[in-house]
Amino acid sequence: MIDAAPAVEARDKLTARDLNIYYGAFHAIKNATLAMQAQTVTALIGPSGCGKSTFLRALNRMHDLTPGARVEGNVTLDGQDIYASDADPVVIRHRIGMVFQRPNPFPKTIYENVCYGSKIHGERNKAKLDEICERSLRQAALWDEVKDRLHRSALDLSGGQQQRMCIARVLAVEPEVILMDEPASALDPIATSKIEDLIGELKKDYSVVIVTHSMQQAARISEYTAFFHLGEIVEVGTTTNIFTRPKEKRTEDYITGRFG
Amino acid sequence: MGISAAQKRTVRVTSDTGVKVRRFIDLLATVVLWAMASSIILLLAAFIAYLFYLGGHWLTWDFIFGLPKETTAGGGIGPEIYNSFYILILTLIFTIPIALAAGIYLQEYEQPGIFRSIVQFSAESLATVPSIVMGLFGLLIFVYYFHWGFSAIGGALTLTLLNLPALMRVTQEALSSVPDTLREASMGLGATKWQTVLRTVLPSAIGRMTTGIVLIAGRIFGETAALIFTAGLSLSTNHPYQLQPFRPAETLAIHLWYTHSESIVPDVDRIGNGSALVLLIMVLAFNILARIGGSFLTKRFTGRSS
Repeated sequence: MIDAAPAVEARDKLTARDLNIYYGAFHAIKNATLAMQAQTVTALIGPSGCGKSTFLRALNRMHDLTPGARVEGNVTLDGQDIYASDADPVVIRHRIGMVFQRPNPFPKTIYENVCYGSKIHGERNKAKLDEICERSLRQAALWDEVKDRLHRSALDLSGGQQQRMCIARVLAVEPEVILMDEPASALDPIATSKIEDLIGELKKDYSVVIVTHSMQQAARISEYTAFFHLGEIVEVGTTTNIFTRPKEKRTEDYITGRFG
Repeated sequence: MGISAAQKRTVRVTSDTGVKVRRFIDLLATVVLWAMASSIILLLAAFIAYLFYLGGHWLTWDFIFGLPKETTAGGGIGPEIYNSFYILILTLIFTIPIALAAGIYLQEYEQPGIFRSIVQFSAESLATVPSIVMGLFGLLIFVYYFHWGFSAIGGALTLTLLNLPALMRVTQEALSSVPDTLREASMGLGATKWQTVLRTVLPSAIGRMTTGIVLIAGRIFGETAALIFTAGLSLSTNHPYQLQPFRPAETLAIHLWYTHSESIVPDVDRIGNGSALVLLIMVLAFNILARIGGSFLTKRFTGRSS
């Protein structure tokens, strides 16, 4: 069911083993096991409500914030369990950043948004913050568009710019893994392609795990793809294999558009 | 299924009688609703105009800043205005920190559950206590038990009890208006709960919070029943402007009531109408300030440029 490539091995950055997630009595994720490698884009695909976002949010303990959500099993970052009793979610979310489905800029200036993470982690030096701001915005391919209005409200940016700013905001805290929850679903095609180009750049330095409802997007940007259906990981493999030689009937039905 | 939907569809674009009746009722509803809404404006305008007509010509320097008189005509309301502000500020100093902290705790920290329900229920019960009952409670506690007599601080503490629930409610509502996506964004960057509250949630909520606080301030400013037995009906004309809170402190609203019901001065109407007008202008000023201040702070703290 899981082909050779993503089996748990040394290059694995982030690994979920036998993960079960419940919302109250609802069993949202069932025995999910998935290894995500360093400097690689892993796409999570599947029909709406299949649990791919739920799974993603378990990878940096965002479910801690959801009343009634319960996570069982383990998730390891560089071999260390992030659900261990001595693991600190504040540290984990610093190392594993998250970009959300809808751009969620703080109602502050662009500069304040990008430097938010650095400030909460104690950086006070103005020159250092300026440098972090510029570096992050450059990495997110947004610098040229906003360098003259860093001290204007982030809410004045377009949706696509806001989303790239949110990515810059995550990059500013220098995480190791970036989780993206359908980051382009609220954007137009041009903004979407900018985000996709950006993801291509990011994987040189980061592990990227992205939830997407667009199979074309998964095919364009990811090395590995996991197909989710009804709370289970049906099939994992290289993106090429999943889209050209799926092993499971359900995967094939989904990628050929028979359901979903 | 002999006739298709397309064939059955009417070809006219003008209205028949049935449609005309419905359109007339629609128009009627619009007019009635508009008239009801407008009557609110009309009522307020008429009320203000009438008070100006009655009291406008009494608004002189001597009246607003002068000392009150016990038995003769020509008394002013200067110390009463001073006391109204004094008690208001003292009340806010007691109320805001408690209400803010309780509101933040309930909304941001406590999951919905038994404790939250109990606090909520207590606050709502406290909010339904009539102000005269709260006044009598203040009389027993501050005046008799603590032996403070009638005092500004007793009045302010009674008003604190009275307004705490409302202000806590205001805080909670303001916080709940902040979208969860902002909390997630902040926590997702590795912020602690407190950092998230302090740097993201509160700045986004401060505009609404200010509006709520100033509206409640307007209510405190006009409060009477809770003060009759606590802050008292008198003030020292020898030392009318004292900073210390352990002294009787008649406020403007109390003075208005007192003059009309108990006083023996010959110019009751003059003082009554003038005081009423001043009180109304103050409370209106609070409401206007609430709107302007709230939107100003929202802009200031959210960096919105437009």
